[in-house]
Amino acid sequence: MSIRIAVGKGSCGIAAGAAKVSEALAPLLAGSGIPLGTVGCIGMCWLEPIVDLYDGDALKARLVQVKPEDAPRIADAAKNGDFSSISDLIITDDDAAFLQKQTRIALRNCGIIDPDSIESAKAAGAYTAISHILRDGVTPEDVIACIKISGLAGRGGAGFPTWFKWNAARQSPGEEKYLICNADEGDPGAFMDRAVIESDPHTLIEGMLIGAYAIGAQEAIVYVRAEYPLAIKRLERAIGEARAAGYIGKNIMDTDFSCEFRIKAGAGAFVCGEETALIESLQGQRGMPRLKPPFPAAAGYWYKPSNINNVETYANVAWILNNGGEAFAAMGTEDSKGTKVFALTGKIRRGGLVEIPMGMTLRDVIFDIGGGIRGGKAFKAVQMGGPSGGCIPAELLDTVIDYKKLAATGAIMGSGGMVVMDESTCMVSMAKFFLDFTAKESCGKCIHCRIGTKRLQEILTRIVEGRGREGDIELLEELCNAVRDGALCGLGQTAPNPVLSTLRYFRDEFEAHITEKRCPAHTCTDLLHYEIHADKCRGCTACARKCPVQAISGTVKQPHVIDQSKCIRCGQCIATCKFDAITVE
Amino acid sequence: MNCRCQGAPSDLSLLAPVLSEYAAVPGSLITILQKAQEIYGYLPVDVMYHIAEQTGTTPARVMGVATFYTQFRFQPVGKYLIMLCDGTACHVNGSARIADAVQEYLHVENGGTTGDGLFSFSIVACLGCCSLSPVMMINEDTYGSLTPAKVLDILKEIRAKEGAL
Amino acid sequence: MQQIHFTINGLPCAAEEGMSILQAAKANGIEIPNLCNDESVRVYGACGLCAVEVTDDGRGKPVPKLLRACSAKVMEGYAVRLDTDRVNRSRKIALELLMSDHTGDCRGPCQLNCPAGTDCQGYVRRIAEGDFRGAVEIIKQKIPLPAAIGRVCPHPCEQNCRRGLVEQPISIAFLKAHAADRDLAGDTYCPEAAPRSGKRVAVVGGGPGGLTAAYYLYIKGHDVTVYDAAAKMGGMLRYGIPAYRLPKDLLDREIAEIEALGVTMKNNVRLGADITLEQLRADYDAVILATGAWSSMKMRCPGEELAGVTGGIQFLHDISSGEGDVPDLRGKKVAVCGGGNTAMDACRTAIRCGAETIYVIYRRTRGEMPAEDIEIEESIEEGVTYKFLTNPAEILGENGHVKQIRLQIMELGEPDASGRRAPQPVEGKFELLDVDLVIMAIGQRLDPAGLDGIELTKKGTIAADESTFRTNLDNVYAIGDATNRGASIAIEAIGEAGRCAAVVDSALRGQMKPYRAPYYSKKTVTAADLADREKQPRCQMPVRPAAERARDFAPVYLGFDDETVRKEAKRCLECGCHDYTDCKLIRYANMHVIQPERFGGVRHEAEKERRLVCIERDSGKCILCGLCVRICDEDAKQGILGLVGRGFPTAVKPEFQNPETVAVCMTCGKCAAACPTGALKWLK
Repeated sequence: MSIRIAVGKGSCGIAAGAAKVSEALAPLLAGSGIPLGTVGCIGMCWLEPIVDLYDGDALKARLVQVKPEDAPRIADAAKNGDFSSISDLIITDDDAAFLQKQTRIALRNCGIIDPDSIESAKAAGAYTAISHILRDGVTPEDVIACIKISGLAGRGGAGFPTWFKWNAARQSPGEEKYLICNADEGDPGAFMDRAVIESDPHTLIEGMLIGAYAIGAQEAIVYVRAEYPLAIKRLERAIGEARAAGYIGKNIMDTDFSCEFRIKAGAGAFVCGEETALIESLQGQRGMPRLKPPFPAAAGYWYKPSNINNVETYANVAWILNNGGEAFAAMGTEDSKGTKVFALTGKIRRGGLVEIPMGMTLRDVIFDIGGGIRGGKAFKAVQMGGPSGGCIPAELLDTVIDYKKLAATGAIMGSGGMVVMDESTCMVSMAKFFLDFTAKESCGKCIHCRIGTKRLQEILTRIVEGRGREGDIELLEELCNAVRDGALCGLGQTAPNPVLSTLRYFRDEFEAHITEKRCPAHTCTDLLHYEIHADKCRGCTACARKCPVQAISGTVKQPHVIDQSKCIRCGQCIATCKFDAITVE
Repeated sequence: MNCRCQGAPSDLSLLAPVLSEYAAVPGSLITILQKAQEIYGYLPVDVMYHIAEQTGTTPARVMGVATFYTQFRFQPVGKYLIMLCDGTACHVNGSARIADAVQEYLHVENGGTTGDGLFSFSIVACLGCCSLSPVMMINEDTYGSLTPAKVLDILKEIRAKEGAL
Repeated sequence: MQQIHFTINGLPCAAEEGMSILQAAKANGIEIPNLCNDESVRVYGACGLCAVEVTDDGRGKPVPKLLRACSAKVMEGYAVRLDTDRVNRSRKIALELLMSDHTGDCRGPCQLNCPAGTDCQGYVRRIAEGDFRGAVEIIKQKIPLPAAIGRVCPHPCEQNCRRGLVEQPISIAFLKAHAADRDLAGDTYCPEAAPRSGKRVAVVGGGPGGLTAAYYLYIKGHDVTVYDAAAKMGGMLRYGIPAYRLPKDLLDREIAEIEALGVTMKNNVRLGADITLEQLRADYDAVILATGAWSSMKMRCPGEELAGVTGGIQFLHDISSGEGDVPDLRGKKVAVCGGGNTAMDACRTAIRCGAETIYVIYRRTRGEMPAEDIEIEESIEEGVTYKFLTNPAEILGENGHVKQIRLQIMELGEPDASGRRAPQPVEGKFELLDVDLVIMAIGQRLDPAGLDGIELTKKGTIAADESTFRTNLDNVYAIGDATNRGASIAIEAIGEAGRCAAVVDSALRGQMKPYRAPYYSKKTVTAADLADREKQPRCQMPVRPAAERARDFAPVYLGFDDETVRKEAKRCLECGCHDYTDCKLIRYANMHVIQPERFGGVRHEAEKERRLVCIERDSGKCILCGLCVRICDEDAKQGILGLVGRGFPTAVKPEFQNPETVAVCMTCGKCAAACPTGALKWLK
């Protein structure tokens, strides 16, 4: 047996302590001949840090929630091949099933290969597709035809057919063209693009090379969020390696095809996820969307024909070329082909990245793969598509994952954020959260978005603060419709979605806030009322000691009382009380 | 925004390598500003004027671009920059309570710096560590699964280390 | 270029291929509202006001989304609509949102408080410039009798004048009177009347309301005849206002101007007696009733029927109609009951008739008196005795003639519905005064004689629609003291008359357009906001000494000279927007019935700054259309202005707010010229 060790070091793993585990292991393995490597993110975020023990390419043991102090016994086990001493660290079958129910294409190498090694990537098949194209004379038209057959649609949100955009850019007159990757993953709650770049940058590079070849671009630019420093670092390194290996630069593989690569770090603006705003930002301007038409395929970066797709879209491309468009199209539904990556977060038991074929139901993903709700509470809704999307309530859990079916619920596929909410989540407050976000992220150019989202946010704020007025629901609806109709770009046009969809499914919660001044989920602090029930209070004083504002008074062994004028409704008393004597309404 | 005449002038020579690499490349303004912020810790007004002059654009445009993006700062930041994530997952898992705790303890607003210059506090968009939510970063270090009590312990520890208690 | 054919609101249009819908509409003489478009810069698409609906894309299908006309190209066969519900709704909400973050005064508070909406700021400015003729042209857009109104109006404009927050309001009414006097003295301004329409209008009542309606209807092209029961025109101005306030010759001259314009005037014709309403309706295309309210109200206290008890209006009328033939009240004791301006006119007239003692009986205190304070002050100077907190309980007579008046002593209780503290009798406390004449000046009402078939309100006034002035009878309109809420001040009747004239004109031309109060943007200003203003006290009007003026009916006020008037006018703070008449925002806003208040919330900070050498910027009025920034950049090639920040707080700022910028700005003024609102003011 020739054991090697790989530590999962995506941002998320590092945040959970993977680097420290790695540092602890390194000296223990020194001289043992056992290689200590790095891999990216396998997507099982709730189990980080993760250490994999391989024998060659075969995974022998996956150790989870590893701490630095576990390093000695891991090192020993690796040296002597006996894993019994670390059996408590090995992933349970139940957790391991998380991966088995997935179909991984975009994430196919994530958490398996070393993102800092082109050799590791090539061993997993990187650059075979582009090599085949260039070596065997596959024409750009053939490439586009293959993508057309695959049915691949943009994974960034809008779900526009990829081949169509490529073809439009290809057909646009002009010699100078650009291929751009949108890695400005701004949806709060989505992180698959970061995971792909951090874990498997060569797959992105290859997908972009194929795209550049197809549309006739000489330059490829990756626009990455500045908040993703590790992704930028790994991508820079990967581009360097690919250039050294002859996949980037002039006359790639001795053909006429030349393509330069560049990374441009974003500087913090959600609206730059909108393609024309992204182009403005690439040009060093304020990221304010342009009017469309003209579309970027006709006049994009420096007003030259340009194509923009997001990371996940490009990550599918090489696989499609290798396996054929039909293989990709064989997965999914009539309307939506292939797989989709979702970031499962919120009140979910197993949070992480999931890639599944289109056509699974939400229930499959949230309950079978995600393990359902954490802490035994009841599922309430899942928010999909972030600030441009909406929520889907429990009664629609059997909705099939497909662009059209999801859109029919009022949510969208979006970039794949799936934020799971339980009964303790206030839907009005969620709507406000998203409007806080879009109002803050509005570029300020058009009236409907600049002032409209601000006013929506103000109305929602007054509702959650107990100052809602009769007629506010109708006012919200009227304004939502106006913003959707009148805003200049996708950010503004979709900004009302979280409000409209929560109004659609949880109108009663809005009404309770406005007319009864009551928050059914007990989360809007301005509407809460804490009370100690004298019959249950034993006078243990625990709550009074815990209260951060000394709002609770009483003598020992006598029922205590809460001074409502002082109470800040933090809920710490309830958490402290052992006798269920405190309730909140 | 201060007038350029206020405060000690910045050492503009530090920026020379950046300008020589990027000044002539069209569309590089954001990159230059990012590099300048790496050098100075923030964007002093005289530096922005200098960038405008050297890149042949107007100060108004530099200002317009710099104020559009949240990454850019116009005041020096504290020694410890606390970035509290307010992505959806963190929000659902109670980041607002964490924000309250930090603000109350440090007496600092979102975007502000404590009087002693030790901490700056900023609520930021999703840091992408959703499964550890709620999450914050202090400089390079990430702290996950926060509670108000836990966050106070972390801040107290830093203060103690800096002899600020 | 190939011509393509399309329709806008159903009208066939043609344009060159490749034009935007906006350009194509313009080429066909159709305006599509827009705030951010200018031909000198690239299309921007921010305002969204140009949204249009395409109901047919030339292939029989509608375009699902609203299109921004500035960027969407017009296509062959397009059916473009600017008037669908969806388009109107979209534009209306956009305007409401804009207005919810637009802080500024369209019009000065003076003008907004004038019942006739007179552009006070406009004429005060002309007066400051010494352009009295120009001032009168502005005034006469709303008031055809400025010399008279300048003297008698209680000037609500001055109440709201912001100068009052600094020291004292501008002397707006006197300025108006002065300009009008100067105009009457020379080559008097006479507006040009529209070509004759052939329509005929009868106005019943030659008071301020009737004359105003006649004046404007004549100017609008209709032939007007004014009928009045009295021997001369002028109504209350002549018969209710004493000569010491308004010299009759001045009134004669202003009325003569209206007659000279072309209005026919017929006096000594009483409705119901000399002519019937039915007849007027048969003879004219429209009839406007402006008969006024000429009956004094009764107190309903015992003894009111005694000889020597008269009504305030009656008393004033009898004196005025005698034209200098005044009753001799020498040695007499007179009691005037009431606290309004009629009571003031009555008591001061009684003094001038030689009365020995004059009491004003008022049931509240001076603070609650509706009369103007200056009138009270001057009457006291002239010798009037005030009996506050008293109310006539009984008038006692001897041989059928007044001898004494018994007054109930009152005290103030809780505030009533009007907010004034309600007077209540103090049980058992009375005071007895010896009097020879009692004048009841407690209100007026309508004499309904001759108004056959006209529906009246519960108050006994003519019921007239608030926005069309229509009565229950076809083509019969009514305005002024005779209608709805009853008697009020002259400028109220003049305001109604002006609005009524517009409605009647529209009706005579076939499509009645009811009056709709325009929307104005307003801002709140406090004394603290004006703390930095230099104090410039109001110029004091020279007054004849009390002892002298109390003996005759010559004017109390001696008038200003030109220099004083100009100095006074220069005190104006110019609160109203300099750009009102050219402002696209307010013009579009008034195309819809907008309610920005429903979207009330935080606003941009409104501050005026003058960073550039010749541009004053008012950030509260900026709508962030970006035109100034883009023009400075793309057209003027200066790039001095920039957008700062993002989202709601975005603002236009000169670079770094730096005074050094002044040196760079080439003062081309293109930014200010392009600004669709009054946010940028060109100072050169």
